[in-house]
Amino acid sequence: MSWQLLLSACVSGALYAVIALSLNLIYGTMRLLDVAHGEFVMAGAFAGYFLVTLMGVPPVLALLGAFALNGLAGLALYEWLFAGIIRRARNTESLESTSLLVFFGLSVILQNGAALAFGGTPRAYERYGRIVHVGGVAITGNRLVAMAACVLAIVAVLVFFARSTWGLAIRALIQNRDAASIVGIDTQSAFRLTCVLGFGLAGYAGAVIGLMQPVSPFMGGQYLMIGFVIIVLGGVGRLVGSVVGGVLIALLETVGTQLTGPNYRDILIYGTFIAVLLLRPQGIFGRRAA
Amino acid sequence: MMRQPRPARVSAGILAVGLVASAAVAVLAGNATLAFATNLACWIALTESWVILSGYAGYISLGHAVFVGTGAYVFVLTWGMIPVWQGFLAAAGACGLLACLIGAPCLRVRGPYFVILTLGVAELAKNIVINIEAGLGMFGRLLMDGPGPRPLFLVACGLALVAFVVSYAVRHSRLGIGLLAIRENETAAEMTGVPTVRLKIVAFVLSAIIPGMVGCVMVARSGYFEPLQIFSPQISLTIVTTCIIGGIDDAPGPVLGAVFLNVLSQALWEKAPQLYMVILGVLLIAFVLKMPDGLYGWLMRRRRAA
Repeated sequence: MSWQLLLSACVSGALYAVIALSLNLIYGTMRLLDVAHGEFVMAGAFAGYFLVTLMGVPPVLALLGAFALNGLAGLALYEWLFAGIIRRARNTESLESTSLLVFFGLSVILQNGAALAFGGTPRAYERYGRIVHVGGVAITGNRLVAMAACVLAIVAVLVFFARSTWGLAIRALIQNRDAASIVGIDTQSAFRLTCVLGFGLAGYAGAVIGLMQPVSPFMGGQYLMIGFVIIVLGGVGRLVGSVVGGVLIALLETVGTQLTGPNYRDILIYGTFIAVLLLRPQGIFGRRAA
Repeated sequence: MMRQPRPARVSAGILAVGLVASAAVAVLAGNATLAFATNLACWIALTESWVILSGYAGYISLGHAVFVGTGAYVFVLTWGMIPVWQGFLAAAGACGLLACLIGAPCLRVRGPYFVILTLGVAELAKNIVINIEAGLGMFGRLLMDGPGPRPLFLVACGLALVAFVVSYAVRHSRLGIGLLAIRENETAAEMTGVPTVRLKIVAFVLSAIIPGMVGCVMVARSGYFEPLQIFSPQISLTIVTTCIIGGIDDAPGPVLGAVFLNVLSQALWEKAPQLYMVILGVLLIAFVLKMPDGLYGWLMRRRRAA
């Protein structure tokens, strides 16, 4: 396999890892079955696009802007919708099925709302378009920036969850919500923080995509699927698993597409996903489902 | 004494109204009404079939369009080779077979994973058909000299009728009780001797056959087959929303939901399709949170309280 391919797999791998991390935070911590995650990524992409083109924000800062805007939206949604759903749920199953339908509705609203507001045609902006040579490999500057941005975000998230008190609290909640609240973890505040981080990261990832590809209201679906494939591979609530899974899926996608042709990309991803779910629903690194 | 509304009486009433209305439409209606009524009948058939597995057993499928598309594809492939009515049967058979094949592995997967799996299967099937068609050099297929709107309306009515009766019969049989037990607590159901695997597969196959034939009606009406359109996730979404709005606990629910949404869509779809979809999403969330047993459950509770 050529270095060129490997590098391009690293770019999408880093991006997929961020998306999977954010989805894993939402689903792993709160058990909200977020099937609108692709649409949150799309919202971040539009936020980044408008920050750069309308307000002249430098693209790198626009990534942070997209994080902040999406995080705030996530917080608002938590207060307005999710908190009530979590409070009223009888058990995990009913929480998952209620949240699934609510997020399904949200995804339709976001997708078609965006199409209403911004029109259906894809939009793109051109930044950092220069070709850079790394060793013997050529890569456009924007993809290099995108990869660096994703790696930074991944490191920041992993360090936060390994070191900070709040990070530890959220990890405890992932492991066992009841036990965590018994030992005095403030569940409500931890959930709020998770929403800001999870939806914020989704927006950040969206803005990163905007650096490389045109943004459109209907771009979200594939990222939802990829996010779930990776979570299933890496294990629910396992953050490092999401990073490893993201790189694996990107490698598979890049190599597989190279071998079979671009038309088969979707079949490869969905096929892998179905195969993993059917053969090993607890994930490759996962223990048996809790 | 107030007469208690019993499910049997309500369902019989809906059946009677439906039959009279279809007869009236078939004899009297002009083209616009006929188109509306055909749509309505198709949606009733689709939603009643969805509710058999996803409503009663709680295995929510977000990819029901996979059967609509598969049926339509088989119908289009056999078009011109066998008589049209055999094309319908072939579509039904293919969908039943597909459900048998994917049911056994897929239905082992529970809860959230099943839901995501249905999304994945639908997308996979869509992409496979797109690639086959592209490989054959076909970009959409035309169906010439299909059946007229009136025969298609009658077929759609027949499908709606069968779907409604099957859905009602399943709900009020041993099978239905087993499915409800699975929805409430699958492990407990298994422990008390409910043959969960068999019931789930039977329900899955039952819920797959009707949409296959509805897919045939849809392509025969439009005279055009295009995978992106007939496998559209929008179909799956509308099915889910319709059922949640109407109520997923008994056969009358989806009918109420379908009538409500078809009237709304008639008013909005052509003028503002995206606005209509946004409203659909808002309705879905509102019903899930405020009226989780749907219009039908709400009406029944009001009658009981009165």
